[in-house]
Formats: sequence, structure tokens, C-alpha cells
Amino acid sequence: MSVRIDRLSVTAKNVYRFGSFGLAIIVAVAALSVRMFDLQVIQGQESYTIPQGEAAETISVPSSRGLIYDSNNIPLVQNLPNFVVQIVPELLPVDQKAVVVRRLASLLSMDPVAIDQELDSTTGSLYDPIEIATEVDTNTARIIDENGDLLPGVQVVSEPLRLYSNGNYPLQLQPGTTRQPLFSDVLGYTGRITGELSAAQKDAGYSQNDVTGLAGLELQYESQLRGTPGQETVALDSSGQIIPGLTTAVTPPIPGDSLTLTISSKEQYLAYNALLWGIEATKDKMGGVIIVENPQNGQILAMVSLPGYDNNMFAEGISQAQYQAMLNDPAMPLVNKAVSEQYPPGSTYKLVTGTAGLQGDPLTGQPPSITATSTILSQPYIQVGNERFYEWNKIGWGPLNILKGLANSSDTFFYQLTQKIGLQSLTDWAKLYGFGAPTGIDLPNEAAGIVPDNVWKQAAYGPGQTMYPGEVLQAGIGQGYDAATPLQLLNAYCALANGGNLWQPTVVKSITAPDGTVTPVTPTMIRKIPASAQTLETMRQATREVVLIRHTYDMVDLPIMVAGKTGTAEFGTAVRGQLPYHEWFVGYTPANEKTGSFDGTDSQLAVVAFLYGADSWGDVATEIVKYYLWEHYGLKGSPLNQSLPGHVNLWASKITNNYNVTANNH
Amino acid sequence: MNIFRSEPMRVRSWAPKAASLTWRLYDFQLTTYAVLLLLFGLAMAYSNSVGATHTTLSPGSPFVRYLMWSVIAIVVFLIATIFDYRWLRTFAWPIYLLNVGLLIVTLRFGSSTGNAGTSARWIVIAGFQLQFSELAKILMIIVFAAFLAGREAKVKSVWTVIGAIIILVPPWILVMLQPDLGTSLVLVGTLAGMLFMSGVSLRWLGTLAAAVVGAIPFVWQRLVPYQQARLLALLNQGQDPRGSGYQLIQAEHAVNAGGAWGKGLTNGTVLLPVQTTDFVWGVLAEELGFFGSMVVLALFVALMWRLLVCSWRSNDQFALLLGCGLASMMLFQVFVNVGMVLGLVPITGIPLPFITYGGASLVSVMGGLGVLQSTNLRREPPAW
Repeated sequence: MSVRIDRLSVTAKNVYRFGSFGLAIIVAVAALSVRMFDLQVIQGQESYTIPQGEAAETISVPSSRGLIYDSNNIPLVQNLPNFVVQIVPELLPVDQKAVVVRRLASLLSMDPVAIDQELDSTTGSLYDPIEIATEVDTNTARIIDENGDLLPGVQVVSEPLRLYSNGNYPLQLQPGTTRQPLFSDVLGYTGRITGELSAAQKDAGYSQNDVTGLAGLELQYESQLRGTPGQETVALDSSGQIIPGLTTAVTPPIPGDSLTLTISSKEQYLAYNALLWGIEATKDKMGGVIIVENPQNGQILAMVSLPGYDNNMFAEGISQAQYQAMLNDPAMPLVNKAVSEQYPPGSTYKLVTGTAGLQGDPLTGQPPSITATSTILSQPYIQVGNERFYEWNKIGWGPLNILKGLANSSDTFFYQLTQKIGLQSLTDWAKLYGFGAPTGIDLPNEAAGIVPDNVWKQAAYGPGQTMYPGEVLQAGIGQGYDAATPLQLLNAYCALANGGNLWQPTVVKSITAPDGTVTPVTPTMIRKIPASAQTLETMRQATREVVLIRHTYDMVDLPIMVAGKTGTAEFGTAVRGQLPYHEWFVGYTPANEKTGSFDGTDSQLAVVAFLYGADSWGDVATEIVKYYLWEHYGLKGSPLNQSLPGHVNLWASKITNNYNVTANNH
Repeated sequence: MNIFRSEPMRVRSWAPKAASLTWRLYDFQLTTYAVLLLLFGLAMAYSNSVGATHTTLSPGSPFVRYLMWSVIAIVVFLIATIFDYRWLRTFAWPIYLLNVGLLIVTLRFGSSTGNAGTSARWIVIAGFQLQFSELAKILMIIVFAAFLAGREAKVKSVWTVIGAIIILVPPWILVMLQPDLGTSLVLVGTLAGMLFMSGVSLRWLGTLAAAVVGAIPFVWQRLVPYQQARLLALLNQGQDPRGSGYQLIQAEHAVNAGGAWGKGLTNGTVLLPVQTTDFVWGVLAEELGFFGSMVVLALFVALMWRLLVCSWRSNDQFALLLGCGLASMMLFQVFVNVGMVLGLVPITGIPLPFITYGGASLVSVMGGLGVLQSTNLRREPPAW
């Protein structure tokens, strides 16, 4: 036995090696101790106070978002309580991830795989909360909130849900219906900031995951609606959880301002139904637009763009697939086509050509080309070079003055007038009427339209390009390169109706601060159109003549005075020798719709209707406006009080009996 | 007396010791230091459990879970003490295969833990999350001890070093694949310590160290870029200002804040988001201060001292190397973990024995200490 011990002591029990190991322990621990002494005893005193602040953190307290009311102070949006469950990845220990996800999934009745995917697919800082579920019911939210130690990293935040309504009209949201909240395109929707914050957003104190307006008024008036978030200093325990009761509010949040629209739910409802009727009657999949404006101040009274979308889908959580489908839909349901899309205006543009002919060009000093009574010979076609530009009825109307020229929408009349005034005068007047520039309405993503001239053509088609004579003719009748938004067109006719004041349209009438202070939005005039009262009155009479000669069929039979202009604008590529065409009607009534006249400038109602590629015989846009006016003025026998199929049949019979002409630029 | 003489040696050595002599051989100091460190760990778990939203005694709070694991660890410690450690040497190779098998299972079926979904360190069995790489540290000490004890006569040969490396490579690669840089470094550090203590020729040990350092550039060049990027990411964790870099800054704040006397248990205020894990020293330093931290470090030194003393007293090369292996592992882990919080060494995920909250680590270390007590009890008594 002693032999064994001796042998071991020789081979393994090397005193030097044990000694070295002991020394290594002492050196290592001494190094740690010296560093500890340095950090804690020597440096510890001076930096002792700094970490005290670590336990407190200033957090942002969201302000309640401002509401939106219609012109009769009927609320169009509500803030509903809504609990959102989030996970902060950094606070979720990796070794507990699986079990926490499983617990959370069972509480929320979700698939754990979905939560895992959400966590794994989110890039960005580990401190940014990842949203797991919204609209969590109160009980579940409380259970999750109270079990923070079982669910590390999981937090519940209250984030009000925006619920949009139709004002005092019932909301119809049954699946499969084309009905939508009336105000979707105007109000827009809110959502979380996705992607990187812009510099402006950072300056305004937004952080990732904050809610912001993403479309419509919610976007346009974001700074007013949002309010001012408050700041709160909270005490944190050592695990970063907020200690209740130790919260000191530094600044309370200030609720956002509320908006009152110029639009009433009723007008919006009437306009919506009139447009929807026209779309269903023509089975138009690409939809259309109706806008109603007060010519006296630019206030928008109704604005509907169809097909639209349900903005509550965004509040309630839209799936990526649904959203993608809407983005890819050629009818662009997410786009407010009233302001954000531009189309060839067709014959409605003859207002510009006619005014230019009567007035001359005040910018170049060009004298008037025609008078109210001078005539131009309407022919079967006009030849320019090798090309023939046909009258829309292929026959011509004989000698026409401006009244009859506009009333019959004679293309050859306006081709020759365009030749007389020239491109410069035409584009000058288009721009004076507000074409080619955004109107400045308080809605986002407004399109500018196109007023083609040589400068534009060079920019679009390359250096050295000029407008060919044929293209100039097309420009004179609202075809070719001409493009305008429905709003631009309506606004130009408003200027005609009110005696030459081009107003900046608005949809917000007043802004109400949380303390009740109401700030009205004062109408802004873009310009006074430099046309004589005489010229404008002649043009108004011409638009009235359109109705009087039954170019708009039975609109004249309404017991009200209406003036306006139709438009049929070809676009795209021909099918069986016939180009598809958009249909327009823009019209207005005098202040006293029954007895007023168009000598005056007191009009308080102007309407534009547009139907994309309607290809109807006759002008469905005219009918849409007619039915809107019928309802608006509460005339007897309103067709919209009947069921829709009845309208379609009624209307269809009218077409076959009375409109048996080729619709082409009239 | 005649009857006793005629009995086999094992029975004779055990029977009379059962009452009095056994207690003389039992190292009470070792157990005392271990239990004191366990209590510190429990205190830190308690501190981490106290907070607004935590209920300290609710099931699932760090404190309760640490308490539960402590009970398991003590049971494992006692079983290991009673169990005859010599069986471990007999079954060293099956243990090795079991270890490699567990690591393969972890890699194949383990839970995703990282954002990229590529790391797998945990196996969930019956609701428990088991980290086999912690167990691997102890199992590899047993395997190395058996191997080196078996080469007792030829320990100076270069094949001792080469053989040990061949044994190390499979589990080391499996741990690196998880990827668990911390554990793989602990395995290397432990083996280096054990080779040194087993009496391996310093010449070969030095040659090996030089070869490893010299090979780094060549191996680096052979790696494809994504492997290089992955390794750099592992080594540069401190560069991420909002990830572990933030941890490091906050940990240093915490240590500073502790001062000489500390703020007292549960009074820590510096926000350390992942404080129950590898940065627990920051919390400890803040709450217990310099002097409290020194007490904990002193307990570690004392524990390692007792491990060396037990080794020295042992008359079985296998038992001696077990003690040295445990001491190497503990020294490495304490130095790297605390040094990491103090900014002395790069950030690697290495737990602090006893203090870091983690069941597998605690049970493994206590099991290892139990085996060492088993060697104490079965030591040949000194001839007096």
C-alpha cells in the first residue's frame, strides 16, 4: 500500500504543478479584485449618482386622436378601446421563449407557429415591440398584464381603434357587397409607421410602431389630429418592469384637434347612391367619381370615388393578401380618383377653348378670335396635312356660333377655333382655369394634370419635340395629351359659375381645439380669372344651351335650372374600330334652382360625374348628375327611392329609344 | 480480527469507516463553501424576483425555480457522494458516447434560440429545458480523467496530448455547431488544466499551444466567408451597441453604482435586461458592493483550494485528475464570466457557477462536487 502511494506521489503529485495552479488561481482572482476595487471603490464614488437615473425612464404617453365630424356635427369616427399584445424580444429570455410563446398562444387562442414566425421574421432592434395580437378582449388583456413574471417580454398596451361610420346613415358592411363607409376616400385611415422613420417624423417625436395617418384626411391633418403626446417619468425595477405608483407625469398628453367637414353625410349618401347606380347600370368595373362643390367658396359638399375600400378594414387589421389584392386591382380601390388620378377631360374642356376665343389672351395681348355671335362652319371633317379630323356625327352642323357650337359639342367648330387662337392662348387659358396644377385641396396625393405645350412635350418626349398641328387640335377638345383630375374640372366650372373666382377647394370647414376653440378654415382664392363678365356670361349661356337643346336628353325636363357640359373622352386602344371612352358631365345650378338664371353668378352647387371607360350609349355621367340633383332638391318621383333594378331598366329603355347615336366626342 | 483480515479489501475499507472514519475523510469545508455559494446564488435569484410585476414566491419566478433546482442539485450531490466513483472510470467510454449522443440530440432536436433560428442549445423533456452542454463539461472531465489516468505510465509521450485532443474534437465540434462558443472554450480550458496537472510534458503542451495559435491564420483562410462572418459575430458581440454592448455598458454602470458597500439586496437600480444570465455579476456587484463581491470571490478561491487539497490527498490518479478538472473548469468560468462583466475579457456566454441562474449548470457542478466527495470517502486512510 505504501508503495502505491509513493509511486503516485512521484508521477502525478508534482508539487510545482500544484503550486503553479494555486498561483494561477491567486493571480486570476487578484486581477479581478483589483479591477473591482478600481471600478467600485476608486471610480465608484464619482459615478455613483449617474446610474440612479437608470431606474427612471421617460416614456411617451399617447394623446387621444382628434375626431372628425360631418358638416352637421355628426361624428364620422370613434376611438374604441383596444388592447394590443406585444413582445419585446430583448426582454424575452431565449431559454423561456418556447414556453412563453406557448402560454401566450393558448391565452390568445393563436397558433404558436404564427407567433414564432412573427418573432423570427421581424428585423430591427430587439427593443422594438413586435405586435402579436390586436383587439384582445379586456379579460385576456388583464390576465396577460397581471402575469408579467410568467410572460417575460410580453406587454399589453392600450391603443384606441379608429371606427369609421357613415354619420347618421347605417353602415353596410356585409361581405360581398360593394357598399363601403361613405367617407373612406375622404377620411383615409391610420396605421403604424412601417419601415424607417423619416427625418420629419423623428423631429415630431414619432417612434417606431406609433400610429399615424396613412391616407386621406387622417394623413393630411396628421399634425392636428394627433395632438401632443405627453411625457411620463416611470420608475423601473431591476428587470425593467414599470413599478406602479411611482409614476410622475411630466406633461399630460394633449388630445388632438377635431375636424368638421364641409361635407354632410346626407349629401355624401346621395352622391354615393347616384354614382353607385350609374356604375351598376353600366356594369363598369373601373368605377368613377362624383364631386359636389359650392362655387361660392370652394367647399366640397360631397366626394365619392368608386370602387372604394372599407377603411375599417385597416383599423381592424387587414391581411397582407387583402391589401396586396387591393393594390393590384386595376380599378385602384385604394386611390381617391377624385383628386389623385387624371383623365382626358374630353369635350368638357371646350370651356377653355371657348373662353380663349371670346376673350383673347390677356397674357400675350392676343385679341379675341370670335364674338358671341360670329359663326364658324361646322363640317364633316377638318383636314390637317394628311389627317382628317372628323365631326363626331360625321356630318357637321353648318354655321354655328359659340352657343350652338358648345351646345352641340361640335368638334370641327372647336378644331377651327383652336387653329384661330393657337396653342399659346389655349395653354394660357387652361392654366388660368387651374388645369395643369394641383388645386391645393386639403387631401393628400393630388395629381397635377397635364396641359400640353411645347415645353411639356420636350420634357415628356425628349429635346426638339414640338406639338404637331394635329395634336394642337386634339388639345383644343380635351383629347390627346390633355389630362385633368375630376376636381380640377369641377373647380374650373365653379369659376365659370361664380363669375371668375377660382377657389382652392377644401373639405374641412373648421378645426376645433380640445378646449372648444373653433378655427374656421377661410376659403382661399387661387386667382381671379382675367375674363370679362361678358365672356363668362356668354360661356354660361352656352352651357345652359347644352341642356336646352336636349343634348343632355331629359335633364331639361327637371323642374330646376341646370347648365353644364358633357364629355366623352377616348383613351387606350380601339376595340372593333371604336376606342373605349370615359364619360363626363359637369354642371351647376343657380342659387334659386327653380327661378334663377345663368346671367347671375350666385350658383351654390356644382357637380361633376365621371365614369371610367363607361362605353355606354348616351352619357351615363349626365344621368348620374341628374339623379343626384333630383335627390338633392327633393324633386317629386325621385328615381332613387325605387329599387335599383328598376332604375337600370328605366334607364336602359331610354338609351335604346332615344340615344341611338354613336357617342363620340360630344 | 482474523475474520476482518480475510475479507476483500473493498469491504474492509468501507465497513469500519462507515461511522467515524468516513466523516473524517469527508471534506466538510468543500461542502460548506459550495452551500454558501449556493445561498448567494439563491439570494441573487431572490433579488431578481423582487419587482413590481413579479410575485417572489409565485411558481415560475427565478427564486422559486432556483430553489427547486437547488433541491435537485443537492439530491444529485448526495447521490454522487454515496455512489462509488470508480464505476465512472469503468464506464468512461460509454459515458463519452452518451455525451456525444446527447449533444447530437440537442443539435438535431434542440429548440431554436436565436433570431436567425439556427442555434439549438436546449432540449425540452417533460416541460424541463435541459442544456446538455452544461452536463457535457462534467462528463468530459470524467472522460479526460479516465483517459489520462490510464496513460499514467506513458504520460510524457506526445500521444497523450494527441489522444486527448482526438477525444475532445467530436464534442467540441458539436458544441460549436450549436453554436455555444462559451462552452467550447470551457472544454478547451478544462482540458488544458487537466493536461498540465496530469504531468504531461511541458514541451509537448507548449508545442500544442504554439501549433494552435500558429494554425489560426491558415484555418481562417480556409473558411468560407459566411463562416468567417459567423465567427466574427461570435467574437464581436460587444460591438453591437444595443445588444450585448449595451449589456456591457450597463453592467459597468452597475458595478460602479455598487461602491464599497453596495446598495443592498434587491436595491439594484441599473437596468440590466438579461440580468439572470451571464451578466449576473453586475447585479451582484451593485447590490453587495466591493466587500460583498470579495466575499463571493473568496468563497470561489476557497472552493478551488479545497478541490486542489482533495486532489493532492488522493491516492488514485483518476480521482486526483477529477479534482484538478473541476478546479480548472471553475477557475476558467469564474475568471471569464467576472472578467467579461468587468470589461477585462471579450463577451462570451459563460455562466458563473452557482450564481448564474440555470438549472443544468447548478446540477452539473454540484454533481461534480459530489463525485469528488465520493473520492474523498473512498480514499485509502493514511497509515497512522
